[in-house]
Amino acid sequence: MSFMSNIPLPDGILEKAKNILGEDNTLFAVVGDIKMDGSYGKSALVFGRDKVAAFDDAHENGYTSVDYEDIERAKVKRLYGNALFRVKLKDSGKDRLNPDGGNKNDNGGKWVNLIRFSYAAADMADAAAVFAETCRDEGYSDNLLEAVRSTYMKMRSFCPKCGRKLPSPDSPCFNCAGKGKMFSKLAKYVLPEKYNLIFCIILSAVTTGLSLMPTYITKIMVDDVLPNKDTEKLGKIIIFLILLYIVQYLLTGVRQYRLRCASDGIITGLKKDIFAKAQYLPMRFYDKSSTGSVINRVNSDTQTVKEFVMRISQEAIVQFFTMVGIVIIMFGIDWQLALLALCPIPLVVFISRRFRKMVSPKYRRLWRRSSAISTMLADSIPGIRVIKAFSNEKRVINKFERYCDEWRKEDQHTGMYAAIFPTLITFFVSCGSLLIWAVGGRWSVNGDYGVTAGILVSFISYAATFYNPVNFFANLSDSYANAIASAEKILDIIDAEPEHNFGAYKNDEPLQGKIEFKNVNFSFDRSKKVLSNINLTIEPGDIVGIVGTTGSGKSTLINLIMRYYDDYDGEILIDGKNIKDIDMGYYRSQIGFVQQEPLMFRDSVFNNIAYGCGDVHVEQVMHAAQIANAHTFISKMPDAYDTMLGERGVGLSGGEKQRVSIARAVLKNPGILIFDEATAAVDSETEFLIQGAIEKLIRGRTTIMIAHRLSTLRKANKIVVVDKGEIIECGAPDELLKRKGKYYKLVQIQSMSEQLLKEKQSENFE
Amino acid sequence: MILRYIDGPEARFTLKDKIFVDMEFYHTGEVFKDMELRRMFPVSGKNKYIAVIDGDGNEQAMIRDISNLDEKSRKAVNDCLEEYYMMPRILKFTEMTDKFGIWMWTAITDKGEVKFEIRNHITAVKPLFDNRVLIKDANDNRYEIPDYTKLDKHSLKLITPNL
Repeated sequence: MSFMSNIPLPDGILEKAKNILGEDNTLFAVVGDIKMDGSYGKSALVFGRDKVAAFDDAHENGYTSVDYEDIERAKVKRLYGNALFRVKLKDSGKDRLNPDGGNKNDNGGKWVNLIRFSYAAADMADAAAVFAETCRDEGYSDNLLEAVRSTYMKMRSFCPKCGRKLPSPDSPCFNCAGKGKMFSKLAKYVLPEKYNLIFCIILSAVTTGLSLMPTYITKIMVDDVLPNKDTEKLGKIIIFLILLYIVQYLLTGVRQYRLRCASDGIITGLKKDIFAKAQYLPMRFYDKSSTGSVINRVNSDTQTVKEFVMRISQEAIVQFFTMVGIVIIMFGIDWQLALLALCPIPLVVFISRRFRKMVSPKYRRLWRRSSAISTMLADSIPGIRVIKAFSNEKRVINKFERYCDEWRKEDQHTGMYAAIFPTLITFFVSCGSLLIWAVGGRWSVNGDYGVTAGILVSFISYAATFYNPVNFFANLSDSYANAIASAEKILDIIDAEPEHNFGAYKNDEPLQGKIEFKNVNFSFDRSKKVLSNINLTIEPGDIVGIVGTTGSGKSTLINLIMRYYDDYDGEILIDGKNIKDIDMGYYRSQIGFVQQEPLMFRDSVFNNIAYGCGDVHVEQVMHAAQIANAHTFISKMPDAYDTMLGERGVGLSGGEKQRVSIARAVLKNPGILIFDEATAAVDSETEFLIQGAIEKLIRGRTTIMIAHRLSTLRKANKIVVVDKGEIIECGAPDELLKRKGKYYKLVQIQSMSEQLLKEKQSENFE
Repeated sequence: MILRYIDGPEARFTLKDKIFVDMEFYHTGEVFKDMELRRMFPVSGKNKYIAVIDGDGNEQAMIRDISNLDEKSRKAVNDCLEEYYMMPRILKFTEMTDKFGIWMWTAITDKGEVKFEIRNHITAVKPLFDNRVLIKDANDNRYEIPDYTKLDKHSLKLITPNL
């Protein structure tokens, strides 16, 4: 097997490790990026079958080693922005550290820091700590190394080309994909509109050709018609020009309509895909991205990209045709004057490139400001009740005004560049016209090179038209920079790794409901472990209560069962099958989840109950509502099941919303039920009603209940006590009460507080 | 629980094993061993409101302001916090490559040179009102620019578009 190391070992370390551990006894290494004194530098732990060697300048001779059998505990101590690999040596009075030399002090019973590292190495170090402890207890086996290898493989998900970390193993590397690839991804949305776009391009070519004719006719007028006072020819030319304009503007109108249709198609496709993708993005994405920035991407960025696509696919082509057409005509009329007209081009191209370099970063800043406004809107408008309740209107307004002012300042700053550069370009373009006047005018006056007044006038006119496309291409960089910034944000969602295996596996077998956690460890980020070493078995039909203080990790356990987070260490099995091998859509359809704050959608009560159930019979919905003790209050409302709920269920009380959400779960008829503090936010009377609904629902189903009020768990046949991310007690309620541990204490505390409450209430009544 | 505030030199702190302190109250003679220190405001007020917590995570006291402690204790507390909190101060940016919003930065910090990756510049780079900038890399490591306006011209050019 190959040697594993999170990053390559520093030179010479492996040789030294082989000397300490034995030639064929180096299995894997954890390479740290911080020295013990806190400065950046390399350190390493090299693990063998029976001991670990640590390399850091802080150790005597630059290294130390410890036998696994001398380790009482091995752990990763997470600090702020860094971590330590520590071992506690067994207390027996002898020198257990570096027995081959170096430190000869009595260090038994002490904690020793072996190496320091940033969070980049934390996962591998965690696996290494478990490896060392298990080797001490059970001796080395290949299976133990496999556990380390699986963590190593998860970490190794980086691009083979550039070495950057990938969002997940085997996913494409954003860094190595060029901007061309980015546009080819966006081409997917343009292709369905190709016929419309091609039709518009043909119309463009025709209208461009037509638009060039009047200038040529001007030359004829100046050189032939006016000097010869040929009024008949003048009349014919006027009629011809009228017909020309009618055809030209008619075709332009048709083109504009078809373009609108095409652009609507592109933007709709983009919006649909972003929204659809957003539904399948893992919770981790939403943990880190604000809803405002996602909304901004759907609304504003799609618009920016669409505008750019239209400019590229239409205007750019039209302007290109115009430019080529004019060049051909100009060289056809007079090649010397044509060369004069082309003089400012290199300057225009140079300024344009410079402009693009300068303006791109400004658009990124502008995007940040604009996103901040969207985020503020997305936060404050739905939270208007809280704002009002705290009379916080003024502060919110001030904050919003500050964001708007920052945006305005940034936009004006960007606008200044956006204004100066095109103006500069226009200035040079105008200088080009002056050059034609200065040189061409002299030639015309002197009668040199056959330049007539008609040729000069038409040339000036062509030059002015010619500089339009030049100007357009020069300014294209502005919208290009803007579009790149937006396209990046869009692709950030479209290319993001979705939740795994939706529709990947076929599974029609209903779940029996046996749930097993095997050595599950989890952290939201690397700075703090939320769940440690979770081992738990729940049998089909069990009613399990999960109790613990706030922040102990109860809801995280549920989040893992729901597969909101899939990147944990260890395994979760349902009916003996790893949940990661079950189709995600099917899996979640088998679980009924009732949350503390049930979310209602802006729809009728009926549709809120039938949410996610497709075609469902009216009586099934009413039956579900009856089981959930919701039917009575629904039927008393004037519009009963047709009652439209406002945003977030406005119109229903907390307890009513909870019962509607239970009815939702009833209708789903799941094999596994999860209640996350379902009765925490309601009064005792409502709790009684909800409790009754729950008891009807859970019969014969595996049920997991998180509850602060232990009275809610009176039906539970198993209690799991979670504390600081670990299961500290697990068993039947009576058994745990006899043990007089944490559960016993919780029951005692609650009984006392309930007793006090009753006494207080009776005092008040008296 | 009522917080036990330490206002002045009524408690003595001694550093232990770099990341722990022993806390002793002069008047009562109470001794708390192997305590850990946590900043309550690691971003906005590094030297004020330092929680003293025991091995079980229970808070035993709160230092209102480190500067009010006696000199030895102040040093012990500062050394302990310096050891625990690793947020290198960025002094200079030497290189930045950016594609698709994923950056690779090379920076000179007070702890040495470091290369790190940023995934989402909106959430990872947080400018504060006092010109400070906090950066969190793809591995959740943290960095600080004490005052971005005081960076050299090249560094400023690199960081400004992302603020």
